[in-house]
Amino acid sequence: MRPAPIVNVVRYLLLDKITYLALPWAWAAFGFLIDVVVLQLTPAGHQGGHRWVAGLAPVFIFAFVQGTQTVARALPFGLALGASRRTYYLGAASLAAALGASFGLLVALGQIAERATGGWGMNMAYFRVPYLLSGSWYQSWLTAAVAFVLLFAYGTWYGLVYRRGGMVGTVIFGGAQVAVLALAAVLTTWAHDWAGLGRFLTAITAAGLTAILAAGAAVLLTGGLATIRRLTV
Amino acid sequence: MTPAISLTGVGRRYGDHEALAEFTAEIATPSIVGLLGRNGAGKSTLLRILAGQEFATSGRVAVFGAGPPVSDAVLRRMVLIREDQVYPDLQVRQLVAAAAMFYPNWDAGLADSLLEAYELPARRRVKKLSRGMRTALGIVIGLAARAEITLFDEPYAGLDALARQLFYDQLLADYTAHPRCIVLSTHLIDEAAELLERILVLDHGRLVLDAATDDVRGHASVVTGPAASVDRFVADRATLSRRTLGAQATVMMTGRLDGRDRDLAGQLHLRLEPVTLQQLAIHAAGLRDNRSLADARTV
Repeated sequence: MRPAPIVNVVRYLLLDKITYLALPWAWAAFGFLIDVVVLQLTPAGHQGGHRWVAGLAPVFIFAFVQGTQTVARALPFGLALGASRRTYYLGAASLAAALGASFGLLVALGQIAERATGGWGMNMAYFRVPYLLSGSWYQSWLTAAVAFVLLFAYGTWYGLVYRRGGMVGTVIFGGAQVAVLALAAVLTTWAHDWAGLGRFLTAITAAGLTAILAAGAAVLLTGGLATIRRLTV
Repeated sequence: MTPAISLTGVGRRYGDHEALAEFTAEIATPSIVGLLGRNGAGKSTLLRILAGQEFATSGRVAVFGAGPPVSDAVLRRMVLIREDQVYPDLQVRQLVAAAAMFYPNWDAGLADSLLEAYELPARRRVKKLSRGMRTALGIVIGLAARAEITLFDEPYAGLDALARQLFYDQLLADYTAHPRCIVLSTHLIDEAAELLERILVLDHGRLVLDAATDDVRGHASVVTGPAASVDRFVADRATLSRRTLGAQATVMMTGRLDGRDRDLAGQLHLRLEPVTLQQLAIHAAGLRDNRSLADARTV
């Protein structure tokens, strides 16, 4: 029995092992080594608290890049091979979910190892991020996975907009997002509710934030699916 | 019988530019159809619409009796190999493996033999391939896919004469063994003429000639000789063009020639040559009026 078309798209994308499998982890490993070297060369604080390094940030940035590459480089040949736009997009989204789940698992396992070794013997918090990725292993796994998918979907949508609208369309797309944020800021100012927003952000739990990220990812995935429907190559 | 491809009044506009206009044709399977025309005539646009990579702005496209090709069930029965195909930066063997995943009738043995015949290095990344090698890769995928509708858009770019002949031979052999619907757009009309069962000539987005090649072959001739004799020979015949150089004239005329015609031409010291498909396609494109040629052919 032949695999489902969506599975074929995932297998096709995974032929590029460097982009999807090697580079994110290479970035993570490189960031880890750099952080170890930097922490070895800099004095620890007197409080003996965690030494936060934000070394995972490049992986999230690379998730965005992977999303754009999935459209910019792999899409035209994927469609030439008879994949429908919808199938291609669902395949790419499935791959993002699988990569996100794997990445979240690595973060969760890394946190366990990090806690067990006293932050790799130097109080380093590489796999932990204050507030976001500092709770239980399953919560960290979920948050990391959802954030990964969100950035991948965001990159994919940017790639699709670029394919449909070129540079002008992409600038308008980015500008529209800035305009929405600016409008939200103006409305918040008119409503004199900045303090309320601050209270909301400080009161929200990591699980609540994960839910918001998941809702954002769902919006991005839906937007991407709508954009690819009339895409031409 | 339901045609494999049915196009009714299909058009595609890009702003003010009309890339395709009122295109109506049906293509049966099995058949090898040549899509001919100058650069910008609308051949690539038509093939992309057929493969679901572009959308028509007017008209109706039906593939295998269904609507426009947007579903996997229809698309997996088609393959379009484009001259300007964008490939991901993978190795040749990986791209071939990708194609094998998608096509149910994929012939791995044929793919291997074609890779060898075109001397394509399996482990070389596509961005390191020459233009001709990229073209050959497209041919390998297009033929080995054994898709029920196989569309080739200018598949020869960068190929030398030997490689092109290999393509023609392989295409014909594979078509004979596995008859299917093949549409081939090309500039090299006479070179591909032996393959084609039917030609569709496009000009400025419009279909200007739709004819079986057997009908077209021998249906038009070029008559060259003294102008007065030429005029006498072609009197009462439909002519497509006329050129004069001093006392000599060259006229392209339609209508089949019989023994008496040839005897008369000999007596008048005229040279008779059959019009090639390429000459006819160029002439059809020049006419830009389907009725003119159709009327001429009925004489």
